[in-house]
Amino acid sequence: MYIPITVDHIARVEGKGGIEIVMGDEGVKEVKLNIIEGPRFFEAITIGKKLEEALAVYPRICSFCSAAHKLTAVEAAEKAVGFTPREEIQDLRDLLYIGDMIESHALHLYLLVLPDYLGYSNPLSMLDRYGKEIEYAMALKNIGAKIMDYLASRPIHQENAIMGGFGKLPTRAQFEELREGLKKVLPMAEHTVELFSKLEQYKEVEDRDMIHMAIKPRSGVYGIFGDYVKVSDGFEFPVEDYQKHIIERVVEHSFAKHSFYRDKPFMVGAISRIVNNADLLYGRAKELYAQYKDILRYDNCFANNFAQALELVYFIERALDIIGDILAKWPIKPRDRVEIKDGRGVSITEAPRGLVAYTIEVKDGRVAYADIITPTAMNLAIMERHVRMMAEKHYQDDPERLKYLTEMTVRAYDPCISCSVHVVRI
Amino acid sequence: MGRKAKIGFYALTSCYGCQLQFAMMDELVQALENLGIECWFMIERDSDEDRNVDIAFIEGSVSTEEEVELIKKIREKAKIVVAVGSCAVHGGVQSWEKDKSLEELWKIVYGDGRVKFKPKMAEPISNYIKVDYNVYGCPPERRDFLYALGTFLVGSWPEDIDYPVCVECRLRGNPCVLIEKGEPCLGPITRAGCDARCPSYGIACIGCRGAIGYDVAWFDSLAKTFKEKGLTKMEILERMRIFNAHNQKLEEMVDKIFEEGE
Repeated sequence: MYIPITVDHIARVEGKGGIEIVMGDEGVKEVKLNIIEGPRFFEAITIGKKLEEALAVYPRICSFCSAAHKLTAVEAAEKAVGFTPREEIQDLRDLLYIGDMIESHALHLYLLVLPDYLGYSNPLSMLDRYGKEIEYAMALKNIGAKIMDYLASRPIHQENAIMGGFGKLPTRAQFEELREGLKKVLPMAEHTVELFSKLEQYKEVEDRDMIHMAIKPRSGVYGIFGDYVKVSDGFEFPVEDYQKHIIERVVEHSFAKHSFYRDKPFMVGAISRIVNNADLLYGRAKELYAQYKDILRYDNCFANNFAQALELVYFIERALDIIGDILAKWPIKPRDRVEIKDGRGVSITEAPRGLVAYTIEVKDGRVAYADIITPTAMNLAIMERHVRMMAEKHYQDDPERLKYLTEMTVRAYDPCISCSVHVVRI
Repeated sequence: MGRKAKIGFYALTSCYGCQLQFAMMDELVQALENLGIECWFMIERDSDEDRNVDIAFIEGSVSTEEEVELIKKIREKAKIVVAVGSCAVHGGVQSWEKDKSLEELWKIVYGDGRVKFKPKMAEPISNYIKVDYNVYGCPPERRDFLYALGTFLVGSWPEDIDYPVCVECRLRGNPCVLIEKGEPCLGPITRAGCDARCPSYGIACIGCRGAIGYDVAWFDSLAKTFKEKGLTKMEILERMRIFNAHNQKLEEMVDKIFEEGE
């Protein structure tokens, strides 16, 4: 009789999940990621509700990527009613989304991931010896939060981003302040790249069969919004077709469904964006990509951490460019009137931790159908596979070490567990 | 509390925004000189729900049977229990359809799929345990945390806010979103403390801090104003319920307005 090795509650991730490793005579028999966060039924509770109110509720799916949820839901809603935002509004949304990206990456890398590598159980006790790193983490996350604060009213659950644009825009002086702030943190982002380039990549989970999915950026440069999804096997599909290519299944050990592409698990996230879109990087990030290409491997999920570090540099530079564009067009009208008509809209964007998909159908001003797939739900199946690979290599080690290594594998995906729960088709 | 105060931050079913807000405070590093973290899974790997604490912060709605057991345990281990954020205090947005059956919602989202945990309809934690203090908001403001934490640490008790968002909105000199722009702003019934964040952007309040307590949330008078602007009873109830689905007074007060007028 074997006793399963379990991590009841994985620490330093968003949400509540556990790992269960079941042993048998020939080693690891089964590995399960238990998702024990309760269900919240977002798609179901918004059916029949006024579109504007549903749009205020969807971002509450997740705090770490609430701007991602908000902007994806808003884009899907606008497509449903047949509205296309002005170019300036799209620029502002890109900037807002980048704020979320910077904040989320900084928190994940420094506060959730780094303590493992430096031998701490929490990031705050790192302060004595790694004061500089904590200072950088706070500065990076603060500029991300400030972008969201100024543009969308607050860093979590922004109400100012609405269909047609924004209730009110920041002042020119505030954009200039953001620009100065971004310039100040750019060297810190470069430091992050250097720091994370030295961390172990754990070859145990190397997986030649990895498939990556990412958006094909509409802007033509590495980015967040797009109309097609690229798969690393060379296939491309329009976002409207995602329900044909991303198939979800209910599994009994999880309130979150698992997702498959052509019957296989796949990955989304920073490394998936790099795998599919590295040729669209520019500026300093492009140089760094060339320098560190060896770490940015498609076949190792741990590369996701380093890919996020590289993205910090990229998105800070990109934000500076967007602010330049915005100020060149200043003053900008914050909002256009959106006429609510019947229709169906699909939007897929790149949340900090990977693709997030929304379908919204509108009838008589109300939500008639909604479908949401979050990045963590897409990643769960492949995450489970890599946790299993890690467990197979280390099941004879001390159980504490086994737990530690499997937890690190999960953490590399930057999972958002609360996000992953309530994801489904109606 | 002369020695280091022991705290725990626990999550039920939620978006983790309350903890994120708490973790993002620059002041937290300073505060930790006076705090020991006994349980906070989001940032501390050495966390244990079975340890005694002075202050337990609980985020999230009660949405599984397992969570009912968890909060009962936390209550036993904690001297002060603080409900944090709209989910813990009011049941959260996931309570929006609280009158539908669990089976119906389950069917829509999970189809015939089954999982091994026991889900339930979202509820505020005060339905199961005694709560000593509430921190409101979706998410709460950082200063809400600082105020509550700081006050507890000096051995005192934080006060509750008993006036609406409108008070702060007027102080900021904003044009009225409800009267001047004609939008369905919930500022008049919603607990202040956010400095009228959304109306200051010209956006109607959706009531994320929940209705003012002490029976001074005038759902009826706001419903009357909404009714005059052409909103139906269903539209009014739907909007007010986003963050107040479990409020005992809401329905009867709105009913009153529609009985009078018809």
